[in-house]
Amino acid sequence: MFENNLIGLPIIAVIHCRFWDDECVIYNQLTGDVHLIDGMGVEVFKVLSKKAASRIQLLKNLNSVFEWEMDFNAEDFLDNLINEYQKLGLVEVTKNTCA
Amino acid sequence: MKLETLSKKTVFRALNSDGLRFTIGGFNVCLSSSVPAVAEHLLSLYGAFDVLDNTAFIDFYTALEPPSKLRRFFRPQVNFSFDGYFPFKPLPYKQASAMFEWGLNWCIASHSHQYLIIHASVVVRNRKAFIFPGVPGSGKSTLCAALVSRGWRLLSDEMTLLSVSDGCVYPLPRPISLKNRSIDVIQEFAPDAVMGSIVKNTAKGSIGHVRPPDNSVAQYNTPAQPAKLIFPKYDKDSNTVLTTLSKSRALLKVTENCFNYNILGVKGFNSLSNLIDVSDCYDFKYSNLEEAVALFTDLAH
Repeated sequence: MFENNLIGLPIIAVIHCRFWDDECVIYNQLTGDVHLIDGMGVEVFKVLSKKAASRIQLLKNLNSVFEWEMDFNAEDFLDNLINEYQKLGLVEVTKNTCA
Repeated sequence: MKLETLSKKTVFRALNSDGLRFTIGGFNVCLSSSVPAVAEHLLSLYGAFDVLDNTAFIDFYTALEPPSKLRRFFRPQVNFSFDGYFPFKPLPYKQASAMFEWGLNWCIASHSHQYLIIHASVVVRNRKAFIFPGVPGSGKSTLCAALVSRGWRLLSDEMTLLSVSDGCVYPLPRPISLKNRSIDVIQEFAPDAVMGSIVKNTAKGSIGHVRPPDNSVAQYNTPAQPAKLIFPKYDKDSNTVLTTLSKSRALLKVTENCFNYNILGVKGFNSLSNLIDVSDCYDFKYSNLEEAVALFTDLAH
């Protein structure tokens, strides 16, 4: 779904991430909403809080952290996750001009 | 000069004229009132507070007066005002002292955004501040009164003032507000605790206030470092159970107990995050105050 795109934190909203153990809390300064993130999402935001990344880079990072079950489709899971975060205004997906 | 050094007549006269000026934590308050119960409330519970002279800067000019002369005789009522503004509807005259405490809560919560204000009691032992956030009925004031009666320093019963600039908790030592059954529980647990008149039939039931310890009032200028963030839940059938709470979940939980988190925006989020960084976080269920006090005394070592 996001093959040729760059995924990053939104430019308009200021997103603040705080990490504790295997969870993180994200504050959207634009809306004032606070979100609790756990599981794979934490790794996604650890990467994105440093800089925007492509889907492949995110998947590589997740593969280095998690061991998947044989039948687990990490790509679909990541796409759904990004889709959800996009709806919440926590990430922004742009065309990856470097791809 | 402490309020308790003034004669009853002087206190009554000051309240009935330009107002009695005194310090509560970092705030200077001027209170005018012709209601005798308000004077009695101050004399029994605010004795250790510093009285100010007429030149002192006042943060909150407050008054408690009947709304009209007619109301002095027919279902008498009392009104709280702040700088001439009436934030609440009048209450029955007999509830004047409780209305002073509620009104002052409102003044501080609405005008003190140099602090992130958490609906929490906070006490100190060994220089470690234990913060107990909770909704009404969670048992935070009962716990607070119990700990204070065993020598813990009272920083605040109702509102934890977390400085957005230095992350310290600033004292607001005021009478501890107990409701309904908690009044009997504390009277039994701490028979020496000084309790003001019980105000009955308020919207919250019966209300009693416990006088704050003199040494806590005297330290009104000394902030404390937060160390523990504990969400109490009184349950009459519960054992004493302290459960570690993840920091992320503690942050979300404490946002629900803040008065001005939304007003402070990102400053509020950062203040809470910094609080969470330096605090161990727990859920706490209890029914036995002796066990609770023993557990927290151990935790403070």
